[in-house]
Amino acid sequence: MNEKGKTLSVFTLIVYFFLIAPLLIITLTAFGESEFLKFPPDSFSVRWFVNVFQTEMFINTFVISLKVAVISTLLALLMGIPASYIISRGNFKHKRLIESFFLSPVLIPQIVFGFSLFNFLIIKLKLPVLSSLLIGHTIFIMPYIIRVISANLENFDYEIEEAAVIFGASPLKTFFIIVLPNISSGVIASFILAFINSFNNVPISVFLTGPGISTLPIQMMSYVEYYFDPTVAALSVLLMLMTTVLMFIIERSLGLNYFVEN
Amino acid sequence: MSFLSLENLKVAYGKNTVLEDFNLSINKGEFVSLLGPSGCGKTTTLRSIAGFVKSQKGKIMFKGQDFTDVPVHKKHFGFVFQNYALFPHLNVFDNVAFGLKMQKTAESEIKTRVEKMIDLVGLSGFLKRYPAELSGGQQQRVALARALVIEPDLLLLDEPLSNLDAKLRVEMRVEIRNIQQKLGLTTVYVTHDQEECFSISDRVVVMKDGEIEQLDSPEKIYRNPETEFVADFVGFENFFDLFRDGDNFKTAAGDLFYVSSVNLEKNKDKFRASIRPNDIEITRAGGEKKDNSIRGKIKISTFLGEKYQYNVETEYGEFVVNAATEKRIENDVQVNLYFPEEKIILVREE
Amino acid sequence: MKGKFSYLLFLPAFLFIIFFLVVPILLTMVSTVQVDGGWTLSGYSNFFKDYYLRDIYFRTLKIAGITTILAAFLGFPTSYYISRSAKKYRGIFLVLAVFPLLTSPVVRSFSWMIILGKNGIINDILLALSLVEEPLNLLYTEFSVITGLLYLFLPLMILSLVGVMENIDGELIRAAESLGASKFKAFMKVVFPLSLPGLIIGTSLVFTGSFTAYTTPMLLGGDKTRVLSTLIYENALALFNWEQASLIAAVMIITTFTIVILINYFSDKLNPGGVK
Repeated sequence: MNEKGKTLSVFTLIVYFFLIAPLLIITLTAFGESEFLKFPPDSFSVRWFVNVFQTEMFINTFVISLKVAVISTLLALLMGIPASYIISRGNFKHKRLIESFFLSPVLIPQIVFGFSLFNFLIIKLKLPVLSSLLIGHTIFIMPYIIRVISANLENFDYEIEEAAVIFGASPLKTFFIIVLPNISSGVIASFILAFINSFNNVPISVFLTGPGISTLPIQMMSYVEYYFDPTVAALSVLLMLMTTVLMFIIERSLGLNYFVEN
Repeated sequence: MSFLSLENLKVAYGKNTVLEDFNLSINKGEFVSLLGPSGCGKTTTLRSIAGFVKSQKGKIMFKGQDFTDVPVHKKHFGFVFQNYALFPHLNVFDNVAFGLKMQKTAESEIKTRVEKMIDLVGLSGFLKRYPAELSGGQQQRVALARALVIEPDLLLLDEPLSNLDAKLRVEMRVEIRNIQQKLGLTTVYVTHDQEECFSISDRVVVMKDGEIEQLDSPEKIYRNPETEFVADFVGFENFFDLFRDGDNFKTAAGDLFYVSSVNLEKNKDKFRASIRPNDIEITRAGGEKKDNSIRGKIKISTFLGEKYQYNVETEYGEFVVNAATEKRIENDVQVNLYFPEEKIILVREE
Repeated sequence: MKGKFSYLLFLPAFLFIIFFLVVPILLTMVSTVQVDGGWTLSGYSNFFKDYYLRDIYFRTLKIAGITTILAAFLGFPTSYYISRSAKKYRGIFLVLAVFPLLTSPVVRSFSWMIILGKNGIINDILLALSLVEEPLNLLYTEFSVITGLLYLFLPLMILSLVGVMENIDGELIRAAESLGASKFKAFMKVVFPLSLPGLIIGTSLVFTGSFTAYTTPMLLGGDKTRVLSTLIYENALALFNWEQASLIAAVMIITTFTIVILINYFSDKLNPGGVK
């Protein structure tokens, strides 16, 4: 495998250093004693982690972010799985077009989408903030669901559906007892992918917040504008931990090729 | 009364019409095969019977009732797929039990029947395995068991053995036939393998381009193919024209031919004749010209093991002759080809 | 076998997207061409006549462009390295590259606030080496925004390229070398052209991402270095100037669509081999 020269190896090393170092720096800073964001820290402490759990607004918005992520992911799954099924199973004209339609949220800049929803749902329709937030998140994570499930269905042997039907299962029953169990890995992976993206979202959430309703990333951002202490660093470390666990689960169910293909 | 009949069936996929005005009648307990090259419509016919494919015109009658619009899951037919279509997330037991579960059979009865059927196909001990852990032949047997255990009114098989190796194919086809006869199951079987088809069927439907070329017992089809296509399919080569000459025939050049044939159409003067390569008698040219023979020259000779195969150039085209002559006849030698009158057949042209 | 059942499966998602995506966006776009009940493009011409808006527009374009170019330069060799690595290492490399993508953009931008801040590492090093006398103002500049965006989108570029490069048969490179090409030349003449499809996708993603990003420019650019997205937010929620916000949003969408279409158009021209 010596098509890689020495220069290339060094270059790549530097790039990876660039990619990983900042996250390591945050981690180390989080354990710093001082209340200034110092790197490298002089002394070590976990007080900032404790502070995270004592800061009410972080706890509250964490719960909200969690709820929003779970509910919108479930909604997106509820709508997206049948849609993916039809797209990949069907053989109708304009199939590609319909697929692009369902993937279209990806094409719209999130900040524009967030603003438009704000305009339409909150200003014009006067919908409650939480509902608008849920709607916004559901839309923008649907493409993740559809892409992953459709890819899963590409390899699906539709003959087993025919087998189920001829042996007595109605088409509806077949969907639940034959199709769903066999795409379960796709469902899990897309759930986690969608969950992470919803949880971390800023540009859409930033428009759809209101009294009592805000998400964790937004709260982190406003904290940083006023306080420059390692609390946010500690919170970042906790979030990275969460991401690692979730990534691990995806890797278990699907392998990492999904990321490369997308 | 016919058990299953397709009447004036039309099946089309978009602009592509596969079957038109298709008629077929099958009797109870029969084993009928649909035989033909890919694209002839045999699989479409089978899938129409199953209901996977909807017909645009015509009817499917089953046991006297109109089954055309009955939903697939209510038909109570058994189907064995070419690629087995076993449920990957269920083990062997649950795969086989599936149909019975859908019929809401009692648990204890399911257990008895499934285990008995799995024994019947020789897979006892594999109950807890999953399809991914089975070989092709084992998967095929699970698929068969799954279809048989529900005691279907009709058994449909779509090239079930084509993914198995040759030896297994022969073993399995015998098993399938045995079970079918034992249970008296009416069966429709699709295949493109002539030998397989002939060895196990009561009747064979030879199909081409959505039409039935011939519907007969295997013996009849083999010995008396009615059309050029069927003849070619069952191994006849050497097609040439014969012209009526009173009670006999002659070739275009005038050689006299006797043919002990049946069912000659009265109005025709020109017929298509054929003979198998094995049935032509080949000798070195010489002596008087007899009837039922033509002259030719050897173009190529090939050693086949049991016989020699000669490609002989004649004024009527090239003839293929398989002969167990003691010594190979060399190329460019003039030869005499003799066609025994009972071995010549007359067929309908394309 | 399907029939009416299919439409039921498909309808909820379809209607949901129509009502909650298409309609709001259309409303925003349409509002920009309607003034006092009449149709006009004056909004757009005013946009570009306004020095302030125009400045920010071109700055955003510039930032996105530089980020994309840097991402390509850094990403290309890195992806190549990954694609030539032994299978067992490739997984690890990919995980390391993908992980940042799943981390919150707030976290990622925040890390650069630590690094580039007045008390940050860079300044500490510069001071320690006596290269400067006072800490530099690295934050809230175009430099910091570009750095943050590059950090955000480099993994995307790498992912876009690795897939394509993995499919380039190593034999081709060896063939080129056997015919006299140096490693570098072989790379340029064989690997580069065959990687173009991945490069095009990566460019598309990174450029549109950088052009429309909010979190990073917000945290690393602040008020001193505004971009279109932060402007939209400001107009909408600070100044309550919704017409202006809609206008900027519309300009953003139109620009993004145009760029993507242009990239796709040129990609067909640059890709005669038709390797998808």
